[in-house]
Amino acid sequence: MMINVSNLKKNFDQLTVLESINFSVTKGEVVCLIGPSGSGKTTLLRCLNLLEKPDDGTIQIHQDQLSFSGAPLKTKELIRLRKYTGMVFQGFHLFPHKTVMENIIEAPLIVKKYTKKRLVEQGAQLLKKVGMLDHKDKYPDSLSGGQQQRAAIARALMMEPEVMLFDEPTSALDPQLVREVLKVIESLAKEGQTMIIVTHEMNFARRIADKVLFMDEGFIIEEGSAEQVLDHPNEPRTQAFLQLLDDE
Amino acid sequence: MFDWFYQIQWEYLYNPELAWQSVPLLMEGLKVTMIIALFSMFFALVLGLLIGVARMSKFWLFKLPAKFYISFMRGTPLLVFIFILYYGLPVIGIQFNSPIVAGIVGISLNFAAYNAEVIRSAIMSVPRGQWEAAQSLQMNYPQLMRRIIIPQATRIALPPTFNIFMDIVKGTSLASVITVHELLYSARIVAGRTYESMTMYITAALIYWSVCVVIGFFQQYLERRYNRYLNKQ
Repeated sequence: MMINVSNLKKNFDQLTVLESINFSVTKGEVVCLIGPSGSGKTTLLRCLNLLEKPDDGTIQIHQDQLSFSGAPLKTKELIRLRKYTGMVFQGFHLFPHKTVMENIIEAPLIVKKYTKKRLVEQGAQLLKKVGMLDHKDKYPDSLSGGQQQRAAIARALMMEPEVMLFDEPTSALDPQLVREVLKVIESLAKEGQTMIIVTHEMNFARRIADKVLFMDEGFIIEEGSAEQVLDHPNEPRTQAFLQLLDDE
Repeated sequence: MFDWFYQIQWEYLYNPELAWQSVPLLMEGLKVTMIIALFSMFFALVLGLLIGVARMSKFWLFKLPAKFYISFMRGTPLLVFIFILYYGLPVIGIQFNSPIVAGIVGISLNFAAYNAEVIRSAIMSVPRGQWEAAQSLQMNYPQLMRRIIIPQATRIALPPTFNIFMDIVKGTSLASVITVHELLYSARIVAGRTYESMTMYITAALIYWSVCVVIGFFQQYLERRYNRYLNKQ
């Protein structure tokens, strides 16, 4: 099992965002996380990357496990799990003071202490894959949103994560730029990259997902193949949510 | 009604000859002014960085003293603080061996508080996404500070930091009241001897201004360097 989450809980002050989350992901699996806003999808993803600290439950990634039920964990333990995941944000968050190439080699250079020569070669290959090699010396501010997001995907991939986490990767993009980003994510799926994707793009989820999780009010309400969940949902809440999307 | 206007003695407005003759003396004073200003700015920056970081800490033992320090230094006039150092401390048996040192200590300690606030606000104005992106790439706190946050905060902090630097250059004139022979003190000596106060103080003002103009150019240069990654549209 690549990821196994059990009984995960998260509160913000009085507000319970994740009630009790249980799910697992196998190696190479592509999981799409859907649900209305405020349902806890993004928080769940951020918990997997420890950008949010869960209040209870366990997270196991790769062969490593953290339990949040006991005494508070030290920062060092918390961030141990980060090395298995790469995160792609809705707002890209490229480093504005660095060029595309500098952006993507920064972390492996500083954290893993790899040589620059090796990273620049590896980086060029990755940038070619996401169609950004021509822009490698540009600063993020001069790129379109779609280009920035593709660079951000390459940046996360440079750390060679076991699992890629995508937090609504196309929600901040102009409609005509969505496709170029989704195409990159689909090509990763074909290569067997394990991924969890929070998305509102239902057609994309249908094409790419091995498994779809529907979340609402801090619970995973329904889980199954894309066909099951998106086309033949059992739960009334899933049906209502999909109906709402169709109406738009 | 306009009598006062006709009583103005224009011939005393500015005496270029006297100004020219006193240039060597004023330059001696300017040298002292710049020594005080540069040392003060350096110490104020280093101290300000430490206090600013302490102010941002979640740990009360760092945070509260930093808050108190900033509050006191921003809330008291620099002149009063210099008096405390130079005239107050000797009363309890602590003496500076030179008024220049007292001036540097006073100005550094006072302006460190302003620098601390500038540094704190600049660091906090770097968007949260930058911190999170760096964290998600496994950078630890010192790494993400040094490589991601501080370079971006520096750009934001440049204009207010140069305001402080100019304030320090001008603030050195307060050291003249504790007998530091800096620019204003030198001008006052000549003014006292010749009664040409207008000429001498205008000359001093013009010299302060020139120094600040040069500093302003340096600021422009740095801003351009730090802004080069922004898309000019």
